[in-house]
Amino acid sequence: MRVPLVAAARARMAAWVRRRQGEDVLPVTLARRRLYILPTRAGLAFGLLWLMMLLAGLNYGNSLALFLTFLLAGFALVAMHECHRNLLGTTLVAVSSPPLFARGAGALALTFENTTRAARPAVQAALDDGPPGSVDVPARGRARLTLPLTAARRGILRIGRLRLTSTHPFGLFRTWTWVHLNVEVLVYPQPAGSLSRPIASGSHPGAHPHGTLGGDEWLGLKPFRDGDSPRQVAWKAYARGAPLLVKEYVPTGSDLCLFDFAQVPLPDPEARLAQLARWVLDAEAGGERYGLTLPGTELAPNRGPEHRHRCLAALALYGIDAPAPASAPYAGTRPLHARA
Amino acid sequence: MPGREDDRALGWAAAALGGGMLLHVDRVPAWVSAAALVLLAWRLAAARARVRLPGTIARVLLAMLVAVAVLLRFHTLNGLAAGTALLILMASLKLLETWRRRDRMVLVAAGLFLLLAACLDRQSLLRAPLYLAEAWLCCAALAVVATDGFPGRAAFALAGRTLLYALPLAVLLFVFFPRLTGSFWSLPRGEEARTGLSDTMSPGSIGELTTSYDIAFRARFEGALPPPEQRYWRGPVLHDFDGATWRRGVGGRAAPWELSGRRYRYHVALEPSRHRWWFALDIPAQSPDPGVLLTHDYELMAARPVTDPTGYEALSYTGARTAEPLSDWDRLENTALPRGRNPRSLALAHALRTGAGSDAAFVASVLGFLRSGGFVYSLEPEKLGPEQIDDFLFRTRTGFCGHYASAFTVLMRAGGVPARVVTGYLGGEWNPVGGYLVVRQSDAHAWVEVWLPGSGWRRVDPTAVVAPERLTRGLLDLMPEVMSAPTRLLRGAPWLLGLLQRWDAANAWWNERVVKFDYGTQINLLEHLGLRSADAWALGWAFVAALLGWLALIAWQMQGGAGRGQRPDPVARAYARLCRKLARTGTARAPHQGPLDYGAALAAAHPALPGEAQALLALYARLRYGAGDPATRAREAEAFARAVRRLRVAAAPG
Repeated sequence: MRVPLVAAARARMAAWVRRRQGEDVLPVTLARRRLYILPTRAGLAFGLLWLMMLLAGLNYGNSLALFLTFLLAGFALVAMHECHRNLLGTTLVAVSSPPLFARGAGALALTFENTTRAARPAVQAALDDGPPGSVDVPARGRARLTLPLTAARRGILRIGRLRLTSTHPFGLFRTWTWVHLNVEVLVYPQPAGSLSRPIASGSHPGAHPHGTLGGDEWLGLKPFRDGDSPRQVAWKAYARGAPLLVKEYVPTGSDLCLFDFAQVPLPDPEARLAQLARWVLDAEAGGERYGLTLPGTELAPNRGPEHRHRCLAALALYGIDAPAPASAPYAGTRPLHARA
Repeated sequence: MPGREDDRALGWAAAALGGGMLLHVDRVPAWVSAAALVLLAWRLAAARARVRLPGTIARVLLAMLVAVAVLLRFHTLNGLAAGTALLILMASLKLLETWRRRDRMVLVAAGLFLLLAACLDRQSLLRAPLYLAEAWLCCAALAVVATDGFPGRAAFALAGRTLLYALPLAVLLFVFFPRLTGSFWSLPRGEEARTGLSDTMSPGSIGELTTSYDIAFRARFEGALPPPEQRYWRGPVLHDFDGATWRRGVGGRAAPWELSGRRYRYHVALEPSRHRWWFALDIPAQSPDPGVLLTHDYELMAARPVTDPTGYEALSYTGARTAEPLSDWDRLENTALPRGRNPRSLALAHALRTGAGSDAAFVASVLGFLRSGGFVYSLEPEKLGPEQIDDFLFRTRTGFCGHYASAFTVLMRAGGVPARVVTGYLGGEWNPVGGYLVVRQSDAHAWVEVWLPGSGWRRVDPTAVVAPERLTRGLLDLMPEVMSAPTRLLRGAPWLLGLLQRWDAANAWWNERVVKFDYGTQINLLEHLGLRSADAWALGWAFVAALLGWLALIAWQMQGGAGRGQRPDPVARAYARLCRKLARTGTARAPHQGPLDYGAALAAAHPALPGEAQALLALYARLRYGAGDPATRAREAEAFARAVRRLRVAAAPG
């Protein structure tokens, strides 16, 4: 749809802006020299209307019409200042996204901070030329805006430039800036495949129901919640003055799965990774313990969100020359600073 | 599918448009307003109750219908009245297809354009606040339309503030922006009600005017005011009488007059009357404007009707004498009477003329007849029969200036003395606040001029014989019953009268300084400010300087809310300074690091760093998070800030 010439000009413009502004490091406070402003379509139409009014006022020598025209001229100029001011001094504090699945829906969260006395309504943000989201940043406060995020392939998704825009207050002008951040989002492989899960030998399916005492492996203590069995409460610790805690056990008799990249009977490595991701999710959902073996990586059987993330991250980064994923299942602000 | 937010924005856009329509509601035909109201209600109902809206074809048909209706009513689509009606109807139709933000902006723009049309139409001081309110409403609506979910109150506050900031620039531009001396095209106006004296007079016609409290014009004199009995303001002069109505003559030759008597220079501010007459004190010595003709009858007739407040400098003399004998044509025209009408009056005139030795004596004897004949000055005379003059002179004997001037002229002409009716105004109310005379429509008057050998045309006011007090007092004081109840109430209380005079002075100021601010006024003002009109560069520079000053002021004002936040406290400022200094080592504090974490990072990276830096970081942590009594803390805070200032940190090599 876009004319190639315009596209080329846009690309050159983008490159120029990138050179001019350099790489940004969070938090980014929008300073005067990086804010751009131009009239919107409505602003241009307003200008045309204004010219007609001026012409009519001058022609008829009508003082009130002229005064109205001049008042509107001042109004537009002040509106320009106000539009510019709506972004000026706003701070982009954090940009982060939880890992997402390839071809799945993700959410990029932008946190804005406003240390000034004036609220900044309708601050818009968009991923380069993606659809914009809008948020009101209150005076001396913060506001969070999430943008839809999608990734075509597993691995590391680099957030390109962000565009922050505002047409507030009167829609006559658009002020904007580009923010070039080094934010990376982890993209898990898209879970796919219909092969059945390999069950490791030596397991005793359904030997014990969950949470029973006996030969289960002791996992740790967790706070008491309604419904927990009184038999599992750590009464001794309670007697010593500790809060009410419950002993937790991992049922050793539950299912144990060992997923091995080399053993997946699929020719395409990507298809194998997709199948492995599917299995990891299913095993986690089924409450099973599972381990993962990739060439060069081995993750011992375990379960829980942390383990799930580690497995999926290993799948995401398999064969990709990238630093090891952060231990926390969130990419964004912190690792970025460590690198910056 | 439009949501609630869209409906709210639509409501605001419709309000801006409706405000613009209200400014014209008393000018456009009622069916236009009614149609606009129906369309507005239709659209709002569609937004609320999901009433069906017309399809594209129906809308096109409606638009064509509307254009045809306007064309039928006004016979044109051009011109202010037709254009306004068309704009109102088309904008209302636009409502029916308003879905997106852009459409709503178009509605607001239509509201602004209607406001412009209202400015072109009427510029009175009373309406100025309405215009300002509409401008405000439009700007607020623009804010609501442009930003989803923007609250109405905030929109009004924002628009108000923006317009307030814009005001100085508007004034600046108003004074300095170059005006055109002429116009490219003229404004076609529709037929509009005319007020004031017309070109014809029948005995009763002036009576209708006298109940009007509207202002005809204001006059500001240089020096002394003319005495009340000299305040005759000359208007149309009427020659032809058909037995019922006086009309202007076919025209004659201007006989040179020798002006004499007192000379008055004054400024007249004429209110729009839609007539071509300008008024001057009897007798005007010259035409005040190239576009105005001083006729052979010493009337001031403009080339175009007075549609806007108009101002001019006039020069008049109280006395004048025609130098030559009356031409035959003039004598013929000014002694003509409708044949066979008013026989009793003619008989009376013949009798009186025969008894009088001269024309002057004849005038005196007719005046004597009026004085002693039991005539009554009244604004509500009986209706006259077909032979008006006979009926008046011999039966009703009640009437006002029109009756007396008419009857006196007929009697003069019947006696062979050339006579003509002069209409105009008599009197004027002094406004002490503004320092000018106010002449109202109720001061409308008719008097007579007769031609006497040796002295030429002389003014005779037969009404003054019947009601001498009319000369010195306004008609409204004389006959308060003719005023409408509110006017009577207003004039009844002295303090109200004072208030009224103040209001009138404000109006006069408005008309003179704002409405009539044109090329000439601008040049005068600039010269008054010390800027020669020839020195265009100086003017340009002064304007640019003022503009830049305004921009700087606005930018500075804006920063008040944006750039400057709350100033951090001294401890925080000193800490920021400390971190800046320590960053020179090459290890800057990361945003997630607290003072102690940062200290640890520094210690690891730069073991040679003076211990003072570490101590200061620890002190900051204590000041921020530790306990302690306020007095000690304040001392410590000062010490901390001092120590940070003294601290020297060597920059990292390389």
